[in-house]
Amino acid sequence: MPTRDPLVVRRGRCLAAGRVGGMTPLLSARGLTMQYPGGTTPALDAVDLDIAAGESVAVMGASGSGKTTLLHCLAGILRPTAGSVTLGSANGPVRIESLDDAGRSRLRREELGFVFQQGLLLDELTALENVAVARMLAGVPRAQAETEAAQWLHHLGLAGLEQRRLGELSGGQAQRVAIARAQVTGARLIFADEPTGALDSATSVEVLDLLLAATQAGRTLVVVTHDADVARRCARTVVLRDGRVVSDTAAPSQAATAAEVSR
Amino acid sequence: MTAAAPSSTPGSVPAPVPDARPAGAFATAVHLAPLFARRRDGDRLALALPVAAFAVVTALLLVVLGGAQAFFGWDDDLAFTYEAFAIIAVVLLVVPLATVGASAARLAARRRDERLASLRLLGATTGTITVLTVLEAAATALVGAVVGVAGYAVLAPVVGLLRFRGEALGAQMWVPWWWLPLAVLGVGLLAAASAVVGLRAVVVTPLGVRTRQRAGTAHWVRVVIAVGVLLGGMVVMQMLGVLGNLGGVVAIIGALAAIFGGMLLALDALGPWFVRVRARRQARKAQTVPRLLAARMVLEDPKAAWRQVSGVAMTSFVGVFGAVGLALTQTTSTEGMDPDEQWLMQDISTGVLVTVAISFLMVACSVGINQAAGTLDRAAVHVSLDRLGVPRSVMSEASRRAVMSALWMVAGGSALCAAVLIFPLVGMAIFVQPIAIVTALAVFAAGFLAVRGAAALSARLVPGILARPERVL
Repeated sequence: MPTRDPLVVRRGRCLAAGRVGGMTPLLSARGLTMQYPGGTTPALDAVDLDIAAGESVAVMGASGSGKTTLLHCLAGILRPTAGSVTLGSANGPVRIESLDDAGRSRLRREELGFVFQQGLLLDELTALENVAVARMLAGVPRAQAETEAAQWLHHLGLAGLEQRRLGELSGGQAQRVAIARAQVTGARLIFADEPTGALDSATSVEVLDLLLAATQAGRTLVVVTHDADVARRCARTVVLRDGRVVSDTAAPSQAATAAEVSR
Repeated sequence: MTAAAPSSTPGSVPAPVPDARPAGAFATAVHLAPLFARRRDGDRLALALPVAAFAVVTALLLVVLGGAQAFFGWDDDLAFTYEAFAIIAVVLLVVPLATVGASAARLAARRRDERLASLRLLGATTGTITVLTVLEAAATALVGAVVGVAGYAVLAPVVGLLRFRGEALGAQMWVPWWWLPLAVLGVGLLAAASAVVGLRAVVVTPLGVRTRQRAGTAHWVRVVIAVGVLLGGMVVMQMLGVLGNLGGVVAIIGALAAIFGGMLLALDALGPWFVRVRARRQARKAQTVPRLLAARMVLEDPKAAWRQVSGVAMTSFVGVFGAVGLALTQTTSTEGMDPDEQWLMQDISTGVLVTVAISFLMVACSVGINQAAGTLDRAAVHVSLDRLGVPRSVMSEASRRAVMSALWMVAGGSALCAAVLIFPLVGMAIFVQPIAIVTALAVFAAGFLAVRGAAALSARLVPGILARPERVL
């Protein structure tokens, strides 16, 4: 059911499309539609969404509501059936959906960071190597890449664990490695899909603290979650149902903070 | 008791189904097999690879058997020697043949992992899963083997051009017709047996199929044992003349077989250790992502990396003997030598090169399907790397490097061991008859290219995985 609160609906319209709080959006989706082959209903149905730099946006909804599909389309993992996704960059706006596969790969490599439920780290690499690989892909020499990776691991409280393999790390530690990997490239936009889904309550809070700290440093966070506590701590919550945005609400105090950070 | 069909009207709760006596694992698997035989979107290559591999294996097996049985029609003094070497050649090809079978079985399990896992979730026993997989592996092998018989019909006339004792093998390459169904049946049984062994390497749980974790046992003690065997082999090699005087050609062949057998065991003991040491060094020094990933992939399980290409070990070892023999026969004065003995020297070298070529082809098949199975095993990693923005070429290069690195170790290490055994002769052969050595090297190079091509083929599975990432996450 769409939210009935008129204030929320009005604010939702304002936030979902157009200028965000008076700022030019970092990421903008227009008429985003995704129909999977063989599917009877669209996973996404004409979604309009703007996300400003420095925002933390939680995407919520029931299973099958299209939230992960939305994240994948915004991140260039999937190419939408219709609509556009525009990312603001130093060299001008980039239409993500119009890029070919190699172009979208480059974009994910250079501009975006990812933290997923399982972290999607490489089992055979050490914690340090998992983070350094992201920089090595950009052509950075291994020694320098590992130095930068070590700094991020230290920053995220993993000093002394650099040479451990994934199987030797706890779930929370593995997610910290994923967060380090997402930030080591200088990505301005971090996508997280159920980043706390496999963690206990205390570790979830720690991991979310680290992700939100990234927004304090000017990064933008889009997090797909089932967890209302996670959403509550984000500056804005977008709710999907049947592939459509049915609610888009901001936490006033945090929205203000986000705007200050990005200013 | 039989289960009665629940009678229900729309909206009413179906009546409980009376307990049925559970069928045995075999009967259940037989009932389920036709349902599992249906092809699924996106797994055409994963299905075609084992069929093609078994086709190649059958064709090559029949070619080798055809060539070997040709010698058994001879009845002169040297006939026994030819027969003995033919048997050795067939035995040398059994290892890569079995490796292909095990690889195909592993791929069969991986190809259907979701469905096997679903069955486990529904309560299917490990026995049912095993029978189901074995049935599929055997059926796949039988289809491949039938295609392989056709391949043999094409290959036999070509291989029949090979000359032994100065004459082309020609029509002698054709095996009796009743060998053909026996070969098809034999390959099917081998695949079934290999499937059982291959399944031991994976764990089918209700949550999915995972490769069983094995502790890496590559230890430096292996080096000590292997060096001891190598030194022992060198001593026996020096005593071949004495053995020949005592027991004739039978004693020499027996001693050679013992040396080859010992070397095979030594190489198998030494290989994983060397593979691990080398991969560690490569991981430490890697400056690019593909090199780092390749080294780490090998380090995950050095024994598996070795086993995948170990079929080349013995043939590389024997290949050096063949190449040196070929070089020396071309330089040795044949005056006073019996013409049949002259042919024997020449024919051993030809036989060795043919065996090396065939074993490389089998290893290429094994690598192709092993890599395909590995690619499916690592589907989640491919999705992960893709989301990070890693180009697909990087993933392919990492997989290819992991195989080729082990192959260099296997072929190079085995050839080096053989060269050590007959060191003075190798040196002489290089200087006096380089053409023969170049011929042998060309066979090795072609073999390497075949394996590299097979490794690259599995990269074609990646787009299918990336198109449906939700299947693996």
